[in-house]
Amino acid sequence: MEYQSTKEKLLQEVAPHLERTTWVARLWIFFLLAVIGIGVYAFIQQVTKGHIVTGMRDNVVWGIYIVNFIFFMGMSYAGAIISGALQLFRTEWRKPIIRMAEYLAIISLLIGPGYILLCIGRLDRLHYLVLFGRIQSPITWDVIAISTDIFGCLIFLYLSLLRDIATLRDYTALKVPAWKKKLYSILALGYTGAPEQEIRLKRATDIMAAMVIAIAIIVYSVLAWIFSVTLQPGWHSTIFGPYFVIAAVYSGTGVLVITMWVFRKAYHLDQYITRKHFVAMGVLMVILAALFGYFTFSDYLTKWYGSEKNDESLIRILFSEYYWPFIFSNYIGVLIPLLVIGIPRLRTINNITFSALVVIVALWFNRYLIVVPTLESPYLPIQDSRPEWLNYSATWVEYALLAAGIALFCLMFTIASKFVPVMNISEMSETPKPEEAVLFQSEESLL
Amino acid sequence: MKSVNLTSCIFILVFLLVISSAVFPQEKQDSSSSKTPNITLNYLNTSNDTIILSASVSIKRELGVFALQNAEITFEASAGGNESKFLGKVKTDVEGNAVIKVVSKIGIPTDKERKTIFTAKFPGGARYLACFEKTSVRLAKILVSFAQEDTVRVIKISAFQVENGVPGKPLTKEKVTVYVPRLFTLLKIGETTLDENGKGQVEYPEKLVGDSLGNITIYAKIEENDIYGNVQGKSSITWGIPKQYFLAERPARQLWTPVAPIWMIVTLIIMLTGVWAHYLYAVFQLIMIKRHAQKLRNNPPL
Repeated sequence: MEYQSTKEKLLQEVAPHLERTTWVARLWIFFLLAVIGIGVYAFIQQVTKGHIVTGMRDNVVWGIYIVNFIFFMGMSYAGAIISGALQLFRTEWRKPIIRMAEYLAIISLLIGPGYILLCIGRLDRLHYLVLFGRIQSPITWDVIAISTDIFGCLIFLYLSLLRDIATLRDYTALKVPAWKKKLYSILALGYTGAPEQEIRLKRATDIMAAMVIAIAIIVYSVLAWIFSVTLQPGWHSTIFGPYFVIAAVYSGTGVLVITMWVFRKAYHLDQYITRKHFVAMGVLMVILAALFGYFTFSDYLTKWYGSEKNDESLIRILFSEYYWPFIFSNYIGVLIPLLVIGIPRLRTINNITFSALVVIVALWFNRYLIVVPTLESPYLPIQDSRPEWLNYSATWVEYALLAAGIALFCLMFTIASKFVPVMNISEMSETPKPEEAVLFQSEESLL
Repeated sequence: MKSVNLTSCIFILVFLLVISSAVFPQEKQDSSSSKTPNITLNYLNTSNDTIILSASVSIKRELGVFALQNAEITFEASAGGNESKFLGKVKTDVEGNAVIKVVSKIGIPTDKERKTIFTAKFPGGARYLACFEKTSVRLAKILVSFAQEDTVRVIKISAFQVENGVPGKPLTKEKVTVYVPRLFTLLKIGETTLDENGKGQVEYPEKLVGDSLGNITIYAKIEENDIYGNVQGKSSITWGIPKQYFLAERPARQLWTPVAPIWMIVTLIIMLTGVWAHYLYAVFQLIMIKRHAQKLRNNPPL
């Protein structure tokens, strides 16, 4: 009875967001579409005129497209790991935010690989990758890993959406178009919450939660290995796998905090997404900040101390030409969350969100510093090249496509939130089991 | 009391500092005075009508001896009189060395005793004074030949003076050392004293490794001799054990191998099978949920 009333209340709360789109939301969608439109124009320019419209040249063959690819993939793996872990450990405070983490996982995963396609000069030969793919190539590993991950995340998302889709199907007061009702009905698979269905659903969800964590770690390690198996200064490192995974989860946690803040404001979810959730995510961010700082320090310390000629030259470039991005990404990006979360007085929702924003920008620069300075200082000296080609500088085309990717991410999140609520209604309606309640209390006292 | 002690301590400390500076005054530097560099000259006659002269210039400073770079060295040869033959000018390298190769056919002046004085001169400059070094030598030549007597292989040495570019008196009772070049330096393999005909021989040691064709070069040297300076002769023969070059059996870069390694294929198959089996299990659970719904629809509970 209590379950029904809580559910009813929650449905009444979220139904307006599913039923209608306000003019502010329309304006927001229009803005996003406009940004995407500019990106499409930039893409057409690139396809018709070639990569000469980008800043990438013979020596620096990777630019911000690869940086964006790593960044979006990292967000996806963070979403998968966070949602999977919260699901497996039955963390009570997960309920209002776990859906956002799941959306984050799949939406980023759909956008990220697009940037790889932008890097490819001959898109007409893309199918060769499948026809003549070589198992021993890390690029092939990446293709296999990412496609496997997409399927895994889609299944996991669908499993976690199923109960809410069934709820929306059965909610007669929901005034949505008939096609949407029909779609709910099809996707709900006749789920009624019968004990057998519930057991099967729980079993499948738990297995997929564990799988998405494992796959996320493996797939992001594969992405790191693309760099670390390459003989380039700064890349050929054994700790790149775990370093990338930690950096991914760190940046993804930041994006999740921003997402929570936006939806809390936009959909007025103040009573569901509270300071407690932000602090919990903040604590996670602090742990990840410490780990990220540790890995960064280990990586650069060993390179610096080894005094290998090219590594030394790379570190000199990082501390001269890229001084401020380096300081921002590796010092400020680590210290701000530590200070904001570490000092209780500073632990407000806005401060935590601000530190998350700093983390996101810092981690984007971190990936930039991994890719570009290394390509600018290769082992083999650059010869017979034009002086203006020696250093990379992104063009408006690349920035337009970066903005388009972010806009597409926001648009997909907005559309997803218009289809199924951004909070897991079914789980939030449940009364916490005694052991979960105890855990929840202990977390509260800890926070 | 405490303040008295502190004042006394400070006083003693200052006093000691003053005394120490008076007893051990720091050597004053007179930056305006020029210094004389140190120059050494090394002579080597290679016996193939080439003489190698190398000069080293260094300067002594407080922290040690430093090589003088970019110093212009003039090499000359004379018969002891005022006239000298200009051989060439060379600037010293980063290690303070200047080396010149002189072809003896150009006509090197000699005195009555067939001796030549070689000179290396540094003209000096704003910061350094001029300096020079001389060495007096008699031109000589060493020839190296080989012979096999039964099963014994010998290296034959013949040394003589050079007079007006032609062989002259044999070198007698001079010590000649025989070497073979190895990876970093020359390896001594024998020593002989020349007889009254200027000849000597050294037994060739077996099991010396040559190049891949068995070629080996033998050096015979008269070293730091008061009359002849450094004289060297060399010759090659195929007595060396041919060096075997083995291509180390190591895999090529995996990316370029025609077929992926088995371990990689097996690992990939295991991982993909494991992952996709779980996916199929999850999808199977979804199918069962749908089937259960159909069953409920067909047979609704009473």
